[in-house]
Amino acid sequence: MESSPPPALAPDPIIDVLKRDVDRTLLRENLQRTPEERLLNLQRALDGLAELRKVFGVPGR
Amino acid sequence: VTPTRIVDLVRVLADAGVEFIIVGGVAANLHGSATTTVDLDVVYRRTEENLARLVRALAPFEPYLRGAPPGLPFRFDVGTLRRGLNFMLSTSLGAVDLFGELIGGGTYEDLLQDSDASPILGHSTRYLSLERLIVTKRATGRPKDLMAIAELEALLEERGKR
Repeated sequence: MESSPPPALAPDPIIDVLKRDVDRTLLRENLQRTPEERLLNLQRALDGLAELRKVFGVPGR
Repeated sequence: VTPTRIVDLVRVLADAGVEFIIVGGVAANLHGSATTTVDLDVVYRRTEENLARLVRALAPFEPYLRGAPPGLPFRFDVGTLRRGLNFMLSTSLGAVDLFGELIGGGTYEDLLQDSDASPILGHSTRYLSLERLIVTKRATGRPKDLMAIAELEALLEERGKR
């Protein structure tokens, strides 16, 4: 269930410049998933990072 | 290496019936952000019943003040939660930040109307709306959040196109 339409957010010129560097293809892919699938994907990414840290002996959090 | 088990943190809170709203990076992920985050931030309801649920949920996972020297007489119980407000904790499942109130965001009751609910891990789980997430990040005014805000605003635009 999504919330009601967004309130007006005043444009910020710095944010507008930074927005040009956002990879929107990833966002579009994520928008096709459910929130639960997005959470499980995040967990998979964290598990992968933990595995890499273990392999390379990098202390993690 | 302590693996961060965000899925398990969400599950234990929801299974215990804790009233909470996910905020921060995990809320951004739930909306579709592609940025990886390593801790779970939640705003919790500060009723006595909910404080007790929170303690029951997290106590088995050795909560301790994150970054504090070991050996402090920290007790994760209802009294401690009642006397404090915001707690940055480490647990055996990973880092979790418990907010009684958000900077520029308000309390659980304030945020409820600006939250979305979705079925996650068998529970209807609340997380801050994308619009309120942007407003909250802007209010904190931290330079490190600028890129995150840009991504969230791009997400809002992409969602509007669908």
